[in-house]
Amino acid sequence: MIVPIGPVHPGLKEPLRLKLETQGERVVKAEIDYGYVHRGIEKIMEGKTWQKCIYLAERICGICSYEHTQSFAEVLEHMAGVYAPPRAQFLRVITNELDRIQSHYLANSTFFKCLDHELLFMKVLELREYAMDSIELLTGNRVNMGWNVLGGVRMDANEEHFNAILENLKVIEENHDRIVELFSEGSVLALRTKGVGEMTREEALKGRAVGPIGRASGLKHDCREFHPTYRDHLDFSPIWRKEGDNYARVMNRFDEIPQSIDLIKQAIDNMPKGDIRVPVEVNTGYSEWVNEAPRGEVKYMCETNGNLIKHISIRTPSITNIDSCAKYMLTNVPTVADAVATYASCDPCIACAERVQVLNRDTNEKIVKDMF
Amino acid sequence: MLDRLKDIVRKTSINVCIVNCGGCNGCDVELVACLSPRYDLEQYGIYLQNNPRDADIILLTGPVTEQWEDKLRRIYAKTPEPKLVLAVGNCPQTGSVFAQEGGRVSAPASNFIPIDGAVSGCPPSPPEIINAILNVAPDAMVAKSHENKKIKDDEDEV
Repeated sequence: MIVPIGPVHPGLKEPLRLKLETQGERVVKAEIDYGYVHRGIEKIMEGKTWQKCIYLAERICGICSYEHTQSFAEVLEHMAGVYAPPRAQFLRVITNELDRIQSHYLANSTFFKCLDHELLFMKVLELREYAMDSIELLTGNRVNMGWNVLGGVRMDANEEHFNAILENLKVIEENHDRIVELFSEGSVLALRTKGVGEMTREEALKGRAVGPIGRASGLKHDCREFHPTYRDHLDFSPIWRKEGDNYARVMNRFDEIPQSIDLIKQAIDNMPKGDIRVPVEVNTGYSEWVNEAPRGEVKYMCETNGNLIKHISIRTPSITNIDSCAKYMLTNVPTVADAVATYASCDPCIACAERVQVLNRDTNEKIVKDMF
Repeated sequence: MLDRLKDIVRKTSINVCIVNCGGCNGCDVELVACLSPRYDLEQYGIYLQNNPRDADIILLTGPVTEQWEDKLRRIYAKTPEPKLVLAVGNCPQTGSVFAQEGGRVSAPASNFIPIDGAVSGCPPSPPEIINAILNVAPDAMVAKSHENKKIKDDEDEV
């Protein structure tokens, strides 16, 4: 029997159709229909200056909107050979990690919502608000910040901002362990998460899983290791696990939050003084840049003509994660309810994933309806 | 008597269904944040529903992408009367940044279904969203139900 789920579903947040092939209650196979959120951002960007494009890059995804602007700025900075001044780079690290904290909390709360565990859902969302407060304090906005520009950031921060952020982080630190304990020690939760939706290391390699999903399956890969700011100035090593089930994925995200807090503290302690923005001149050329978004590796490939964007192609982490989820995680799941939770555990972001639509040039009709 | 009781119930218990027709999900994230204990949507008697068939209000986010053009009409038809549509964010109203050359969106959403209210912002913050729902929804729901009843009575007389 085939059980369709979506496109409107509160646990999924975003429109996507899951087709689950079931034998009795057991889910044996899953198929995913994309194509509900394709807006053609890459096409809109063509022939525009970066001042217009950076807002479009921000609106690729609402949850990791910060990382997209940073990657877009850095790919063009890399092309010009001019990098942001040290203070701007450290401020970027702070916002990036705050964004990671809120994104991980949101992903985990969605997972608990899919498990129908209302208490943890509420507790985690409550903690997330402290990270959102810090982001609002630093950048002036909660979701789409408009804070990054080429060659730096738009606004400076002072000691008061840092103290307020540290206070918010203190609240998160105090409550975080209790929530993790609720999750990891709960017997019912363990029954529904341990050993469900397993993905081995080989399968993760085959499915090109990235980010916390890959790291929970034993792929020790974190792009922050290669990022100049993290590599040269901050003490950082990736967190990873071996189990590869729902429990490991959720715990991996939980474990990364204290690490992010530690990175923010390091950045605030070593904050250099100086400018926050330098002028960058965009010339004709091509460059690539890889960054670690909350969901994994995001890659920008950009070609410019003069100061206009000629072609840009953006590879987001969600597409590989959702695909490896459908192919390997949803193969032998005990119940349909667990299948929805397994899908939520791979932290899907459909708005990120939908980059391509194949059209017939003459009639302007779609050839492949549901590609990605 | 029964009508007055119905009005009170309609005002105090509002079921909303989020329909994301292709946005960047920034608005959806803020709608989820509305559920958090800090803002607590449910203390105002507003409940989140999975199914458009159980909902009174459709919260619409996102510019309408191609796949949604027919599905949006179908979801609107499935929602029982009296119903309201509230557009959250700039996208359903104008298309925001996506309504440019090359973008494959067909904003505004009012091309496809009637929209009763709107909250601007990219995205609007949770207090703004809650404020908008509370300002528009209770009275509009009652007014709409009376209107529907009047139309029905007129039809019966004819």
